[in-house]
Amino acid sequence: MSALYLYPVWLRLWHWLNALLFLVSLVTGISMHFALGWLIPFDVAVPVHNTSGILLTVSWAAFLLGNLVGGNGKHYLIDLRRLPMDLFRQVRYYVYGIFVNEPHPFHVSAEHKLNALQTLSYVGVMYLLMPLLIVSGWAFLFSAQLPETLFGVGTIWLVAMAHLLLAWMMLLFLVVHVYIITTGETPTTNLKAMVTGWHREGARAEARGARGGAADSR
Amino acid sequence: MSGIPNHLHHQAVTWTLGLLLALPVSVVPGAVYAIDGAATPGASVAAAQDAAAHASGITSGDSPACMRCHWMETMAYRDRDTQEIVNLSIDRDAYERSVHRELGCRDCHGRGYKHYPHRTNSADEALQCVQCHEQHQGDERHHPPKLDAFAIQYQNSVHAEQDLESFSCFSCHNPHEFRPLPNDTPVPQVVAANNNLCLDCHTELRSPVPRGHEWLPRPQQHWASVRCIDCHTPVAGRDLYAPSHELLGAGDSNQNCVECHSQGGQLLAQLYVHRAAQEREQEGFFAHALYNDAYVIGMSRSPLIDLIGLAVVGLMVLGIAAHGYGRYLAHKKTRPSEQEAA
Repeated sequence: MSALYLYPVWLRLWHWLNALLFLVSLVTGISMHFALGWLIPFDVAVPVHNTSGILLTVSWAAFLLGNLVGGNGKHYLIDLRRLPMDLFRQVRYYVYGIFVNEPHPFHVSAEHKLNALQTLSYVGVMYLLMPLLIVSGWAFLFSAQLPETLFGVGTIWLVAMAHLLLAWMMLLFLVVHVYIITTGETPTTNLKAMVTGWHREGARAEARGARGGAADSR
Repeated sequence: MSGIPNHLHHQAVTWTLGLLLALPVSVVPGAVYAIDGAATPGASVAAAQDAAAHASGITSGDSPACMRCHWMETMAYRDRDTQEIVNLSIDRDAYERSVHRELGCRDCHGRGYKHYPHRTNSADEALQCVQCHEQHQGDERHHPPKLDAFAIQYQNSVHAEQDLESFSCFSCHNPHEFRPLPNDTPVPQVVAANNNLCLDCHTELRSPVPRGHEWLPRPQQHWASVRCIDCHTPVAGRDLYAPSHELLGAGDSNQNCVECHSQGGQLLAQLYVHRAAQEREQEGFFAHALYNDAYVIGMSRSPLIDLIGLAVVGLMVLGIAAHGYGRYLAHKKTRPSEQEAA
């Protein structure tokens, strides 16, 4: 069994804090958008959504800082030459290999925490969608300073539609993210790694060995 | 017309008499919604200091002689024809906070006060807000806002069309108390001050099921969040800083919910900016962001985006469920084979 200390404390703290803020924003946002007073009363949802949105901005800035000076940024660099092949192997594994118990095409190491698909989606989410979501959120808060119309359409409407579209895309990411992390060696390998910091592999093989041993002794 | 503190206002029927001051004097630049001082508790300290810095018309010249009687709260009489109580009292504090505070009584009320009691028509002498503001446009110190656009709008309003004999500026706006609301006034207070202008006469609209508004869900909640004029003035050519005085009757007013509660509604855009602008100067950057409650339910609603979003996320969840089930089957298949191998 191999154990790899992948996620330092600051990173795990950031991850779970970010997740909490994201969930709060999501739930309050849904409650406001669909006028679900029973979910969260409107007058509570609005200030909470504003607050979590602002904190999410701070959290994103922390992510950026951690990547720039904390050395974590290397995991988000895309190797364009290897990307097509890595991507193919990763996708092939998810749509085929995983059902026939093929070995995982990617092995986590301190140098490479993320597989090609993860890198691509995280870069898309954290460097494209998230900044846009944040900008559209702040545009909401300070819309009085924006021009009344943009491209002949009300600015606030454009901002609202952008925020809504981005929110749906982020929800999609969340759904996929929560499922994909279960595709580690065991369904909880990756989750445990983000909780404890240690990525442990080989536990399943040992468990199988133990089970096999038990069968033998019977 | 931007930069003009728009309309004046007032709550009771004090206009019928008394010392009507129509001379505009001081203007608070950038102030948005005007109401009288009485409706803004808390503003009094700053306003009092402000007032002290300027000459007060009510305590200078021969105004004190007028105020010997007119400061009394009980100064009133019953009109013989209408049987209504006519209030002759001037609220001194409110006056000294008002934009007209530098004016002495006789700046506006010129004639007919030698005899006691004064003639009942003394106060009704031709006091003209619009003309007076026009005449003093050259007054560099005070810059009274031009009111002629309001006059034109008013001519087309339901108030003018109803041909109410006694309707005038003073029906809604009390020049003795008029002052613009400070920019940092919370939105609910602004809305209340504005709507009180209307509801003081249209008292029947305070009922749970206001006449003519039966179609409107939660009327009292609307009264508290939106200004009457947001629906009852023409949408075109609106100016946040000078609300139209062209009040529309029921037939011409907006009755379309989605104008406010949906995508790109014109009213919504104005309403949102109005609310956000009101909060702009409220206690700094973060406070503004945190307590920004300009969001209107439905403003981010787009059935198309919601449908696509729901479909994509729904399909993804189904796909994931199928994928997970497939993994489970694969897992089950290997276990017996492992055990056999063992």
